[in-house]
Amino acid sequence: MVDTHGVTARSRGLASCHACLKLVPVGTHHCPRCGSPMHLREVDSLQRCVALLITACILYIPANLLPIMYTDQLGSTEASTIIGGVVLLIKLGSIPIAAIIFIASVMVPSGKLIAMFYLVWSVRSKSQLSPRQRTLLYRTTEFMGKWSMVDVFVVAILVALVHLGGLLVIRPGYAALSFAGVVIVTMIAAEVFDSRLIWDALEGDSDYSKT
Amino acid sequence: MNESEPGSIACHACDLLVEVSSLKTGQSAICPRCGHFLTAKRQDAHSKVLSYSLAALVALLVAISFPFLSFSSGGLESVMTLPQTPRMIWEYGLPAVAIMVAAFIILIPAATLLMLLFLCLPLHFGRWAPWIKTMGRWVFHLQNWAMVEVFIIGVIVSLVKIAKMATVSLGLSFWGYVAFSILFTLAIAALDRYQVWTEIEALETTHG
Ligand SMILES: [Zn+2]
Repeated sequence: MVDTHGVTARSRGLASCHACLKLVPVGTHHCPRCGSPMHLREVDSLQRCVALLITACILYIPANLLPIMYTDQLGSTEASTIIGGVVLLIKLGSIPIAAIIFIASVMVPSGKLIAMFYLVWSVRSKSQLSPRQRTLLYRTTEFMGKWSMVDVFVVAILVALVHLGGLLVIRPGYAALSFAGVVIVTMIAAEVFDSRLIWDALEGDSDYSKT
Repeated sequence: MNESEPGSIACHACDLLVEVSSLKTGQSAICPRCGHFLTAKRQDAHSKVLSYSLAALVALLVAISFPFLSFSSGGLESVMTLPQTPRMIWEYGLPAVAIMVAAFIILIPAATLLMLLFLCLPLHFGRWAPWIKTMGRWVFHLQNWAMVEVFIIGVIVSLVKIAKMATVSLGLSFWGYVAFSILFTLAIAALDRYQVWTEIEALETTHG
């Protein structure tokens, strides 16, 4: 493993295929090895990322306000929201599980949205964090993304499991739909964000929007 | 314009060119500038991928065929199987959620495993197959959308949530799914994008 004197592929006129990692001269339309379309950087990365993040923010509102599930017990119906579920778990004394759900359903999605907005903003502005720290922040965000689906899975499992006639039934609520939407849209936003843009700024050139 | 650099990788996270041709079996390379994982050269990578994938598919068959969890209260019992998880959500009027759940916990992981088999079987036997490149392009992307380990955590959280309401017991399929998630993770971890594509390229050259 030799660092070729801090030289980037772009500065050598090379683009890396996103599918097979082959290095080809910038301007090649399709990868000669795997046939995928070639781009030096993700096309319109920042614009698409921001559009997806805004969509996620909008979906995040009903995800928290609407009930994620209903419990019908002996004729009475109880609706619970995501936060309500965490409160219930604390009351039941399951602090570790309450913490898991709080982290997965509240901290990760909101933290992820904030982190991604910050990363997009930092590409064009002066940032306090070094490119390496921002890359680490990006990779953490990317890694955490799917763990937010826990709450949706919990609803799916409880709905499938708990249906005891008129005694006890659990039904899903629309927050499950909007919350699953938040998770998927932020995962796509993370995929669309091209972290190489963070580093391109070091070479003092804003040519990255070209393919 | 420069020629391509055969033994180098451009770090996907920061674009630094890193020479990896001197990498020996058992070693892995990390970007010296940003710390991003680049590639790992493993011994018997194909046979590992093949055996883990096959075993994972068997475990998945077990996981979808038997009771997953059962729940009983006041003399009544309800039993849940894995395919029912998306189906019940569908019946309650949330088909989009049902499709996502089915995709993330069953369909995408299963498709990933099949693709791993179709990719690594020809590579293992050194035979060319017309679908190799398609598999190689898709499998690394698809695997990001498998959420098997997240689902396991979901099961554990669900158990805690309803433990006070009634008696819950774990079925054979639950253990099948736990085995599946471990084997799936091992199969994915054994496959390296850079090494696989280097092998595909070599195979294509000898194939003519
Ligand atoms: Zn790097």
